[in-house]
Amino acid sequence: MAIRAPFLLLLALVLATATPASAQSPGVSDKEIVIGSSNSFSGPLAFTGEQITKFGVDLYLKVVNEAGGIHGRTIRTIYYDDGYRPQDAVANTKKLVEQDKIFAVIIPQGSPPVVATLDYLEENKVPLLFPYQSSPVTRRKRYVFQGMTLSDRSSKMMIDYLAGPRKLKKFAALYQDDEYGKSFLTAFEKDLGRFGLKLVAAESVKRGVTDVSAQIAKLQAARPEVTFLVLVPGPAAQALIERQKIGWTDTLMVSTGPLTDERYLALAGDAAEGVEGLSLWPDPLLSDLPGVKLYREHMQKYFPKNEPNRYSIAGYFAGMLFAEGAKRAGRNLTRESLIAALESIKGYESGILPPITISTDHETQKQGFWVRVEKGRFKPLTDWLKSE
Amino acid sequence: MRRAALATGAVLVLALPWAVPRYFVFLASLIVVNSIVAIGLNLLSGYTNQLSFGHAGFLAIGAYAGALLTIHAPALPAPAALLAAGLVTAAVGLALGIPCLRLEGLYLAMATLAFGFVVVEAILNLDWITRGNDGLRVPAAHVGPIALASDTARYYLTVAVAALLILAALNIARTRTGRALLAVRESEIAAQASGVHLAAYKTLAFVLSAFYTGVAGGLFALVVGFLSPDSFDVFLSVDFVAMIIVGGLGSVPGSVLGAAVITTLNDSLAGFQNYRPLIFGAILIVSMLFMPGGIASALRKLSVVGTAGRPRPGPPTAII
Repeated sequence: MAIRAPFLLLLALVLATATPASAQSPGVSDKEIVIGSSNSFSGPLAFTGEQITKFGVDLYLKVVNEAGGIHGRTIRTIYYDDGYRPQDAVANTKKLVEQDKIFAVIIPQGSPPVVATLDYLEENKVPLLFPYQSSPVTRRKRYVFQGMTLSDRSSKMMIDYLAGPRKLKKFAALYQDDEYGKSFLTAFEKDLGRFGLKLVAAESVKRGVTDVSAQIAKLQAARPEVTFLVLVPGPAAQALIERQKIGWTDTLMVSTGPLTDERYLALAGDAAEGVEGLSLWPDPLLSDLPGVKLYREHMQKYFPKNEPNRYSIAGYFAGMLFAEGAKRAGRNLTRESLIAALESIKGYESGILPPITISTDHETQKQGFWVRVEKGRFKPLTDWLKSE
Repeated sequence: MRRAALATGAVLVLALPWAVPRYFVFLASLIVVNSIVAIGLNLLSGYTNQLSFGHAGFLAIGAYAGALLTIHAPALPAPAALLAAGLVTAAVGLALGIPCLRLEGLYLAMATLAFGFVVVEAILNLDWITRGNDGLRVPAAHVGPIALASDTARYYLTVAVAALLILAALNIARTRTGRALLAVRESEIAAQASGVHLAAYKTLAFVLSAFYTGVAGGLFALVVGFLSPDSFDVFLSVDFVAMIIVGGLGSVPGSVLGAAVITTLNDSLAGFQNYRPLIFGAILIVSMLFMPGGIASALRKLSVVGTAGRPRPGPPTAII
């Protein structure tokens, strides 16, 4: 009997987690607001997942809760691990909505897991706030507010800057063979078309592959002035190291918004020197913007062992925007009133990004700025670039 | 007694969507889908003593076949699409089984492991039809005039299909084929000596196993509603093996119990985030140490004690 007791206990435990329905909007009680998401805590994006949620969203919400919450309610978060597997993201999201009765989904990560839950959330009218992915599939949805700057906007800023003031003409791309890579590729071709240009070469890299030597050799043969890297940190760093190895110096390597991060820089070491890119966030360690300074202070106070990084700052910013929306919605917080409140945000000063205006297009971030790697850090070359 | 228990079980299964919160209906559907895979895997492992680490690959083939039929032939009723998914997967199982079943034990495990990776690569490379890494959204299928748009409708479909497949699996031992398979399980040499064509029957077990998993794949596509190669990684294959080991090798009820336990565990551990694989692994090791015959044999031993009418020490559960 003792043998199967643990299993019965576990089953019973799961069955007992059913929470009683509340009279108000789901996830909102007199004292509490519950939000959450399915995220990567294992698998290829586990580090990012942990940083954007526990050290990002939760960091900002700790500050809010300690100051008394929002209209008398504290905010609690629930996260489940999907390990980047879409079916687990579906199961977790259903559990969050139907079992835990969360008010809204905040910052889930990765195109496949997010896309897998889009229709379900839209049908059930659950706000999907600031998904951490860059494919435009999230556009034009009533209940979705996009977080990261979308790929077509990033592309427009990159091409406008490089083909405009920098007067460069021959472009090539090394891209990841999925929604992330292809959405950038399509956008590059469209934006280059406006300048009467096109990509002279494009090579794809399968997700999870790190050896990119064959692709680098082919790209070099096309002699581009600019080579875009639309990859994740591992293979992108490998591309830089490979280029250094074969002594290919007459091309400018440029990283996309989602790639321009300290992790990629650290992996590439001195092969990253002189590389440029579009940065979506100010330097989390060095920027003296008031919001970034405050972020570092909060991190130091609550998680002194966790080094500031752009994932946690993205999550921190997501927590901030949610709190601003909930504050504006007032004491009578419902899903519809949150959406109206978020849509009303105009010229909001976060101290981290330039003033945020969210209109009915539901895109919270539309900007980035140009950086060049000098002595192992991203040095800003431009002010914020516009994508409109 | 047995009949009453079965009837109670059937009523419970049918009444479930009306008795539990909505999320559990979805979870129950997943358990039923996984049960079908576990039964399929058990047909292979239970009869030929071979483990496959490639059943996520079969599941993927069935899932994509079912989903693509639902998308491109919307007039086709769901059961027909599921049957087709099973047949396509069985055909792949046949093509794989003929060369692979000449391999033994570890080598077969490795070949099936490789097969799982090949299927994922194939899905990625056939992106003009599978949409590769972007994933495939699966629309609601229908049975006659009924659209399978709700979790409850999909639950009943999975239960109906599972009931048919469970009946077939339970009765297979009564057929000529089944007896031949049983003979193979007891002793390959003795079976061969009595005129059972070993390679043919082993291949048949492989094909049957693939068919079950393919049908389950079709159901998986309908229940989850979104497919992507990320869904069918090697850990899923390992989960399936864990289901039959925890549930009980060679037992149909054990397959169902194993699927229920592993699926529920996976679900309830999602909240432990990065500790999930650790806790999951520890639970598996403990259950294998203390229930080597799986839940099915542990329950059998308990019921032996129960029917004897008086308390007495049960037979030893483990000889390690």
